[in-house]
Amino acid sequence: MKLSFKALALASAMAVATPSAYAQEVIANPFSDVRVRQAIAYAIDMETIAETLYEGRVILADSMIPNGSFKADGLNDYAYDPEKARALLAEAGWDEDYVVDVMFYYGDQITLDLMTVMQAYLADVGVQMTYRKMEGDPAQLTAVADPDGDTSVVAWDLAYGAKAALVMQEYYSVYADGESAYTPGNATRNELLGRINGTANIEEQIAAFKDFEQFENVELSDIPLYYQQLYIFESDRLDRNGGLYGNDQFNYDWGILNWEVTPDADGNKVLYTNKGPIQVFFTPWLNPGLQIASKIVFDRLLTADGSLVPTGGQLAEAYTVSDDGLTITFDMRDGATWHDGAPVTAEDVVWSLQTAMIGAPINAVMANTLTSIEGAAAFKAGDADSVSGISVEGDIVTIQLATIDPSVLVTFTQFAILPKHLLENVDPLELQQDAFWQNPIGSGPFRVEEVQMNDFTRFVPYEGYWGGVASFDEIVAFPSEDVDPNVVKNAGAGRLDFGFTKSVSDVASLEAMDNMRVIGADIPYTRSLRVNAYPNRPVNN
Amino acid sequence: MLTFVIRRILILIPMLILISFMIFGGLELTPGDAVSQMLSPEIAGTISAEELDALREKFGLNASFLERYWIWLSNVMQGNFGYSLASGVAITDVFFDRLPATLELATLALFFSSIFGIALGTMAALRRGSLADGSLTVAGMLGVSIPEFFFALVSLLIFALNLNWLPVGGRLLPGYESFWDRAPHLVMPVMVMSLMMTAGVMRYARSAMLDSMSKEFMRTARSKGLPEWRVNFLHGFRTALTPVIVLIGFRLPTLIGGTVIIEQVFQWPGVGNEFVQAVRGQDYPLVMMIALFSVSAMLVASLIIDVLTALIDPRVRLG
Repeated sequence: MKLSFKALALASAMAVATPSAYAQEVIANPFSDVRVRQAIAYAIDMETIAETLYEGRVILADSMIPNGSFKADGLNDYAYDPEKARALLAEAGWDEDYVVDVMFYYGDQITLDLMTVMQAYLADVGVQMTYRKMEGDPAQLTAVADPDGDTSVVAWDLAYGAKAALVMQEYYSVYADGESAYTPGNATRNELLGRINGTANIEEQIAAFKDFEQFENVELSDIPLYYQQLYIFESDRLDRNGGLYGNDQFNYDWGILNWEVTPDADGNKVLYTNKGPIQVFFTPWLNPGLQIASKIVFDRLLTADGSLVPTGGQLAEAYTVSDDGLTITFDMRDGATWHDGAPVTAEDVVWSLQTAMIGAPINAVMANTLTSIEGAAAFKAGDADSVSGISVEGDIVTIQLATIDPSVLVTFTQFAILPKHLLENVDPLELQQDAFWQNPIGSGPFRVEEVQMNDFTRFVPYEGYWGGVASFDEIVAFPSEDVDPNVVKNAGAGRLDFGFTKSVSDVASLEAMDNMRVIGADIPYTRSLRVNAYPNRPVNN
Repeated sequence: MLTFVIRRILILIPMLILISFMIFGGLELTPGDAVSQMLSPEIAGTISAEELDALREKFGLNASFLERYWIWLSNVMQGNFGYSLASGVAITDVFFDRLPATLELATLALFFSSIFGIALGTMAALRRGSLADGSLTVAGMLGVSIPEFFFALVSLLIFALNLNWLPVGGRLLPGYESFWDRAPHLVMPVMVMSLMMTAGVMRYARSAMLDSMSKEFMRTARSKGLPEWRVNFLHGFRTALTPVIVLIGFRLPTLIGGTVIIEQVFQWPGVGNEFVQAVRGQDYPLVMMIALFSVSAMLVASLIIDVLTALIDPRVRLG
């Protein structure tokens, strides 16, 4: 008989404890009352917090949806009003002995400071608060299990975190009935979600989003706090020459071929950056813009602007979408080649899509698109040799969707096409383990020239790139994870010419350097307090 | 002697298994697993429970603790250390790619700290009570008291960022061909490590030398009319060296794990840096490989030192 270590420990503990000690303790949740949620929003002075704690570098949020065309007008911004907070709490019969349990998952000092400040603001309106850092499985925060009856899955009142989105649908899809661990099902919400997801027409989507925002502005499933900007930094050696600044976490047309670089003392035009590989180049399917290689070595079918709105073709010279939004065609570009000289073909597209369906982890938006393709389920289940909804005729790839996916074009601005001729014999489940990812070959404007794993990687312009050749000599990328603790140090030493950070403290240091400039880019990234609104919740042990 | 060595080697095997079990258990008791560390809560929130489960299944994380430990152990017994959960790269490739960088740093630091530590400690003992002795004692105390990272950050600020004399970190840059190309990258990390280690060796060497100088044989040597330098170096120093060499010998294996902070601050691509990332990411095959290597090195070093001590000092008996 095989026993797990945890099972053994539990068995030992149970041997000395009474059975009643193991019944899950459940308590009534005061946050199920909308007045309590609203009171918390009024009690926190986010304007002051933004100006002081965040040095004015964040934008106050009145909705989960960032400012822009999707934003509804006339939303209540819950400006600081402690009197109103107290009145709402009194109306809701707030129990002053109740201690609000707040969970957070960032380990930085600013987050701890924010928790302390929130504690003080809530104490001022008669609410006690305790806070704790989430450890372990992130499902504690974002569990997508269907909660049982009136009791939530999660055992906290408020959770401080972020929602980052590639498409706007990602903000609200977590509220779908049976999908959320902290927001109970609601018929109005479901109907609004249905309107958002049920059309590929952008105008109809925007109208539905605005209605949803109005609804949530009252309900406060999340209490929006602030919009985080992405800080793009550049040295004075780099001139983007009119190239766009945008959401650098993903792929967009940043005009890298036209970037101008001041030569160094030896006359070489070399740019230094971070996000180089540490052990391996990651497949660009889960985090399409995490490593620099994912952005410059691999091309996509389509390209986008800085806000990730599809703008045109990349490996596809042209594309069409049928009126019903269910059929998409891509006309593959003539003359596009892999860095080993082989042509990029429609077969590469088919192989990439099918491999991603059954292979390594993939970004949620892309996964949703792939699942929507006709025949995807049968292929994934092993009942079909290929996906019936993907067909090729000459240079034309046709994708037939079974259900509408409002994000389908965004997916194809981020989904990298990989070379079938180099990877077709690899088990899709072991794609990441293949030696290919020690020195990958792509079809983008730069190719890998030299890899000294965990020291540096050199990328040089690909002479055969269909769009032309970059005007500088090379990019040297030093290894770093998503959050690079060495940004300031390396920028100060002239070892960083471009990159991005989300750290407010990095920004102040970078701005103080004579050789660096920082550009704030609006990105869909909202920090909020998730509110557990179920009538009951388990007690955190 | 041979029986002692064989017995010690045989004891090493159960010790290594026990230690590996304890490390594996320690990792198990930390919250979360490799999948929860791999995906940020923002990404994990967009992946379905089934997909998370499939990922865990793929990495073998759904099996019980004992099952996983047994699979790992039996693979290791067959020389298979597995693959990094974070990258899919073979553990041995990752480890042996990083080891030269760490050994380079550690051996240079050990070399310089041993030379300076022994020389300064001996000098302080010979001039016991002098201003030089007092100054070196204070310097030694400071050396062992000030945290390594502080020394490292201050030297970075001064020599790399303000004076621009030395590179800010890393080990290699494009175009480097020889050891001398990358030597400037070694200066600061080696200097900081050596400084910290010199303090310890110096204090140990001073005590050992003072101890040896108080022995009867020193008086006998002097009474024979030997010159003072000969008494001190051929009699006192030689005797004092044995415990210092034991200390240095024990330091060599610990340097593999002991370079963690220096590697972090100076972006040194060594085993220490990799170990931190592996622990943070709960990449247990990699953590186990590095931990097991460090423990084995320590146990083997202990055995070698026991044997060497017995060979050098006839008063020591093994068995």
